[in-house]
Amino acid sequence: MSEEEKEIVVKIKRFSKEKGSWWQEYKLKVDRFTQMTEVLRRIKTEQDPTLAYRASCHMAVCGSCGMKINGEPRLACKTLALDMVKKYGKNEITIEPMDYFPVIKDLIVDWTDFYNRMFKVKPRLYPSKEVLEGKAEHRLKPEDQRELWKFEQCIWCGLCVSACPSVKNDPEFLGPAAHAKGYRFLADPRDTIFDERLKILIDSAWRCTYCYQCFNVCPRDIEPVTTIKKTRAYTKFLSEKTPVALTGEKHAEAIAKSIEETGKIEEAKVYISTYGLLTAITDMIYAMQNGKLKYALVMEKKVKNIEQIRKIMGE
Amino acid sequence: MEKLSYDAVVIGGGLAGLMAAHEIAVSGYKVAVISKVFPTRSHSSSAEGGIAAYIEGNSDPNDNPDYMTYDTIKGGDFLVDQDAAELLSQKSGEIVRIMESWGTLFNRQPDGRVAVRYFGGQTYPRTRFVGDKTGMALLHTLFQRVSGLDIDFYNEWFALDLIRDDKRVVGVVAMEMKSMTPAFFKARAIVMATGGMGMLYAHSTNAYINTGDGYAMALRAGAALKDPEFVQFHPTALYPSDILISEAARGEGAILINNKGERFMARYAPRKLDLAPRDITSRAIITEIREGRGFPGGYVGLDLRHLGEDYIKERLALAYEAAKNFAGVDATQEPIPVRPAQHYYMGGIDVDITGQNPDLIGLFAAGEAACVSVHGANRLGSNSLLETLVFGRETGRAVAKFLSEHKEEDSNSLDKEAEKVVDDAYKFVKSESGVHFGEILNKLRNVMWEKVGIFRDEDGMKDALSQIIELRKMTSSMYVLDKSNTYNTEFFNALELRNMLDLAIVIARTALERKESRGAHYRTDYPERDDTNWLKHTIAYLKGETVEITYKPVRITRWKPEPRVY
Repeated sequence: MSEEEKEIVVKIKRFSKEKGSWWQEYKLKVDRFTQMTEVLRRIKTEQDPTLAYRASCHMAVCGSCGMKINGEPRLACKTLALDMVKKYGKNEITIEPMDYFPVIKDLIVDWTDFYNRMFKVKPRLYPSKEVLEGKAEHRLKPEDQRELWKFEQCIWCGLCVSACPSVKNDPEFLGPAAHAKGYRFLADPRDTIFDERLKILIDSAWRCTYCYQCFNVCPRDIEPVTTIKKTRAYTKFLSEKTPVALTGEKHAEAIAKSIEETGKIEEAKVYISTYGLLTAITDMIYAMQNGKLKYALVMEKKVKNIEQIRKIMGE
Repeated sequence: MEKLSYDAVVIGGGLAGLMAAHEIAVSGYKVAVISKVFPTRSHSSSAEGGIAAYIEGNSDPNDNPDYMTYDTIKGGDFLVDQDAAELLSQKSGEIVRIMESWGTLFNRQPDGRVAVRYFGGQTYPRTRFVGDKTGMALLHTLFQRVSGLDIDFYNEWFALDLIRDDKRVVGVVAMEMKSMTPAFFKARAIVMATGGMGMLYAHSTNAYINTGDGYAMALRAGAALKDPEFVQFHPTALYPSDILISEAARGEGAILINNKGERFMARYAPRKLDLAPRDITSRAIITEIREGRGFPGGYVGLDLRHLGEDYIKERLALAYEAAKNFAGVDATQEPIPVRPAQHYYMGGIDVDITGQNPDLIGLFAAGEAACVSVHGANRLGSNSLLETLVFGRETGRAVAKFLSEHKEEDSNSLDKEAEKVVDDAYKFVKSESGVHFGEILNKLRNVMWEKVGIFRDEDGMKDALSQIIELRKMTSSMYVLDKSNTYNTEFFNALELRNMLDLAIVIARTALERKESRGAHYRTDYPERDDTNWLKHTIAYLKGETVEITYKPVRITRWKPEPRVY
């Protein structure tokens, strides 16, 4: 285990309400074990005590130290300084506050909106009265425990939300973290408020654009997007559906039908089946004005061996 | 200053604090939780291996709560109050059942019941677990549960000091970190659930936020700490970042090896081997390293390889991840580099088994902040998560009972006291030049590690004590460069340092006084346990620079002290 030291430059985007924002540079020596939380701690205790940031457990379980390191949303503790040097091929590392969250000071951001979204999904188990009173015992299959535990490991670090484009554009979208949390209880056989949870989650679930940014940045590999997919599969259990959920459901059906017929996604047909003829015509005028109509009119041929695709879909 | 009024205020949002708040709230009282971090960021989240519990019908058929009590007492080198250990064992099954019913995803046996594994010092396996992230699983369950109750949370508020009259605690002054606005929280009862103090030591498995704030606030309010000399070192912290490699690894069969490939624990604990308690194992590792049988840099190997890749990745995921991410070691291929680091504080605010402090009416404490004396001189693994929940609940219930018996008394005259607390905090750092907190902090952490650590002796501790007194003097000229009134973390770091120094002086002084070796307190100049003179609890008060020490007897019910061999 060599402990060779190397000097690095750390550029931190600072902010204060008095001075606005500016970049500040620090130099320090690190070795191959130095976590970015240690880099920050050493800057604060040895060089510049005014630097403000959050950090607690330094082992990736408390979710305090989310920030952007070389432009990537990451936990500082789970990032080794020299790994970033190696990955980007330079001795300079930049640190900025997480996107989306309003900045309060330096790397410290405001969590109010994030927490509000998390609490909207009723993030707690509602067990049966018998179990709560100790008259009955929950049993849980080891495989169910494993499946739920994957999604329960969300540490509320907010990185997925900072990386999510939908959450920025759509105030009705609960965001990836809240969906992971909501699904974790939706899928728990010990829970008793399934219908209420569905009502909270379904409309929002259809507002995700499947860009997979949450999947890419999650430091605990929760795969929030997977929970959104799994939640969408429950749409059929909901009696009163919102327009967004209805459209989503139709869209999914249209895609399945298109693949069954031709083995491909026929954009134009799928669009008409999803939104209806009238909307499709209106949108077509818009598409024409923007020179995109030709893409909608491409006619798809059936793929060879379509029978094999149908067989797979049937399975 | 804004004045808020509650029946009870809980300081700290980890497992002990949240459980106490739960009990107070469901009893119908108005309760606030003040925490310097959002509750799921608390150090409880870092607990890994598990929570000990004897569960009727789901334990080894030969086991019973008495064995569990005995193991705890023996593990604590007979400094345990035996009524506390009995309560802990008896309530363990119920607590695990409650957490399960609230949603904790405990690992399961094939038949769907909660699974179990071995931990150090256990006669029969009792540790219930969620992979090796048990603390995180329990903390999220409990926080999520209480977030549905009528409790006011003051997250990212820093508690400065308690307010008391001549015999009662009447509230606490805390400051919102975001706006730097102070408020006086009036309350008939205060629960200190502020956790531990690992940042006092250069090497610690603890979170950065563990700065001993609660101990110091209690000391300044005139309450005593019990057994403050007992600091636990965990044998297996990852080299060099000190991230905890859970005892669960050894519970699942991992072995410690030196540079000759020897399973050296055979020399130190021939029967329990690698599953000997933490104090014995820590000293064994340091001895191996000192005698030249460690690896360069100063560590030994923790070998998991024989457990197999699948098993390691499922049951010891965090150990595997940590070794890979932070030391570049693939635990399925090579031993994990480990060395001891500070891990837990057995000492704490002096309380009885209801969490009540005898010095100040209305002051309660629970969890690592408290010393119920359930861990004695050395805590067994899996007993701290259990303690937070069992005694968090007992304390919350005792607070509810206390509130029903104690009516509000007039304390308007104490507004001035509250103002003074804020002035003191600012005065402490108001200079225009001087030293920064970091300079003093680094010196303190090193002196504690070198001289009040795993091996202790008279000369070293005398030296440490005089250095700590010197550092404490230096704080009078401490200076805060950041003058802003938004999230001034430098100011709070300086206040944390004040807390750490108030605690350090008490630890060093009481450790110097205890002239024997017991559990985690190991004196090279007094290597034997001395029951004739020292089978007693240390009770320490802080008066300025003086630490006043008295003693009180250990409560013994059924288990007579005997030699502690493993």
